[in-house]
Amino acid sequence: MTKSEDFKTRLKIAKSKNQKKYLSEGEKRGSFMGNAFKLGTELVAAVGVGTIIGFILDSWFGTKPWLIIIFFFLGAAAGMLNVFRTANRMQKED
Amino acid sequence: MANNPMQQFNVYKIGPEINIGGVDLSFTNASLFMVISAISIALFLYLGTKEKKIVPDKLQLLSEMLYGFVAKMISDTAGSKAKPYFPFIFSLFMFVLLCNMIGMLPYSFTVTSHIIVTLILALFIFIAVTVIGFIKHGFKYLSIFVPSGVPAILLPLITVIEIISYLSRPVSLSVRLFANMMAGHTMLKVFGGFVISLGILGGWLPLSFSVALTGLEILVAFLQAYVFAILTCIYLNDALNLHH
Repeated sequence: MTKSEDFKTRLKIAKSKNQKKYLSEGEKRGSFMGNAFKLGTELVAAVGVGTIIGFILDSWFGTKPWLIIIFFFLGAAAGMLNVFRTANRMQKED
Repeated sequence: MANNPMQQFNVYKIGPEINIGGVDLSFTNASLFMVISAISIALFLYLGTKEKKIVPDKLQLLSEMLYGFVAKMISDTAGSKAKPYFPFIFSLFMFVLLCNMIGMLPYSFTVTSHIIVTLILALFIFIAVTVIGFIKHGFKYLSIFVPSGVPAILLPLITVIEIISYLSRPVSLSVRLFANMMAGHTMLKVFGGFVISLGILGGWLPLSFSVALTGLEILVAFLQAYVFAILTCIYLNDALNLHH
């Protein structure tokens, strides 16, 4: 049994050592960059999707260019909603 | 050959041309590297779990750590209800991670730097999550488009915005992974080209940049696989637990 107990103490020491350097400075900066990129694509994707929907609806109903303009702004609003939600989620994680 | 930084993204056919019903199904270098990643995942997990030792060796430790990492990620973001989807998210995470990492090797091909690959992955997730939501909640799932506590006048507007926001999920998921991988690899190639063109006198500065960028790219490769998997968990959470 001594062998497994010895292993347990060693595991404990290794775990406590590991916890201290959990996030180094470089890793933190990397994840900040990832977060920033996440927000950017969140915004752009919704604007793109909104505009494409507007374009498709326009060519269906023949109402060029009104729906594409309206859906561009709706897409921008959706993008901001996305960014807002992602930022909320990030704050909860920290 | 090394002058064009975009040349690394070329897809070319390997072996004979296969044409089934007018659809070109030839084996390309992209398919080759997907097969390599899939085989190396299977081999790695097989070797890692073959002998179940109490004191694990390196391979077993690594596979157990990856298992624990993904299991914790799922339970943290999507709760205990998402446990049945562990195999799906684990294989997704491993596939994206291995594709990114194998792409970091010289002379290899980065599968995830092509938007068609990431878009298909993201669309699959999007459709799967939507189907799971409808199976679990029926037509009540549509209530995620109608947030509570909104005045009746604003409701149509908010619903349209919510639908656009929902439809933008696969786009942002795929574009993020594709753009990160492609930008990073292009930058590596551009700095590599500077080293050659500036020669032995001026080439040291871009060379040091190249070394730093390689480290950063490995970090990005891991981080993007992680983000891809965690967003899948978040979408799954929205589908499993309606809380609007």
